[in-house]
Amino acid sequence: MSGLIAWWDEPASGPDNMAADELLAAESLRLDRVLVRIYRWCEPAVSLGGFQRLADARRCVAIAGLPLVRRPSGGGAIVHGSDLTYAVAVPRGHPWGGDPQRLYDVFHESFADLLRERGIAATRHPGRDPGAGDESRFLCFDRRARGDLVVEAGDLPDGHKILGSAQRRLQAAVLQHGSLLLDRPTAPGESGQHPGLRDLATSEVGPLRPLVASWLERIARRVAGAVDWRDGGFLATRADEWAAAASRYRGEAWLTRR
Amino acid sequence: MAADLRFAKTHEWIRPEGDGLATVGISAYAVEALTDLVFMQLPEVGRKVKAGESIGEIESVKAVSDFYAPVSGEIVEVNQALPNALETLGQDPYGAGWLVRIRPDDAAEAAGLLDAAAYDSLVKSQPH
Repeated sequence: MSGLIAWWDEPASGPDNMAADELLAAESLRLDRVLVRIYRWCEPAVSLGGFQRLADARRCVAIAGLPLVRRPSGGGAIVHGSDLTYAVAVPRGHPWGGDPQRLYDVFHESFADLLRERGIAATRHPGRDPGAGDESRFLCFDRRARGDLVVEAGDLPDGHKILGSAQRRLQAAVLQHGSLLLDRPTAPGESGQHPGLRDLATSEVGPLRPLVASWLERIARRVAGAVDWRDGGFLATRADEWAAAASRYRGEAWLTRR
Repeated sequence: MAADLRFAKTHEWIRPEGDGLATVGISAYAVEALTDLVFMQLPEVGRKVKAGESIGEIESVKAVSDFYAPVSGEIVEVNQALPNALETLGQDPYGAGWLVRIRPDDAAEAAGLLDAAAYDSLVKSQPH
């Protein structure tokens, strides 16, 4: 079937959210459907990219004192709390499960179109030169990869990044995480330099849920489908497996793997 | 692609060597799809693996991907130089970009994988 199944989950901790997303990927395979979770975090926290060095996190003044969790997906560290996070799981056989850039572009293009219709100068960044060492920047929102969604700013050639995504490519499914920066983070340090969508919007963004609903509808239409919103949250559907998965993301072995 | 290679559907290649070992790597197609590689984690020598089991991970700028054992056996050598020279994967994926050498439990298992022509057809059928 085409289209998406989507859940809007209650805010949860980092380990709980990562466990839910791991289960989302498994469920996507079982149902052979594209599944989406939309969620926030129950406290300010930092998610590290799959292979970022823990030592680099410990040295980063901008995130000092915040709880850490390691994502299964790649990319840079994200300071959560002022963002809205999404996870999408896609079977490898789906048209979006092949070229890694495709799924990234589907989500970012759709949101850029939505924002431009609302008068916000959103565009996809072409990506910095690979030789520029962009991946050595610790925080995701300091990086500019191809397709990152930025709001144009006359004084900044790279614009203000408000949406970035990264993937975990499993044997039979792809899990993509994305973070939409809504407001300037309240966490201490350098992360507070980045304004969010609501700081940058020159027109009314409106309530969050209708905005996200419009975004997902646009995405679903790309495969001639609709969004099937499910009540109760995804976490509630998988409570039995969720606790065991969360314990792995809470454990030292996962956090200290690099 | 060399005629002595066999391919897994998950894009690893395997080349049986004359000494009872087999060399394993990642296809040029898979390397090209990943783009801009930044980190690789290889398995430990001596590890026993089953066909289809994850034996390592590779990170590109925006994605972490697993790679899998194409056959069951024991990892006897890993390409130690590769994590510090990831560009080799793109430059010579079927030569200097090899990942591991494995002692297959069953020397005939690799013959059941895809030959170059079948793998080429698989790649052409992948969603873009």
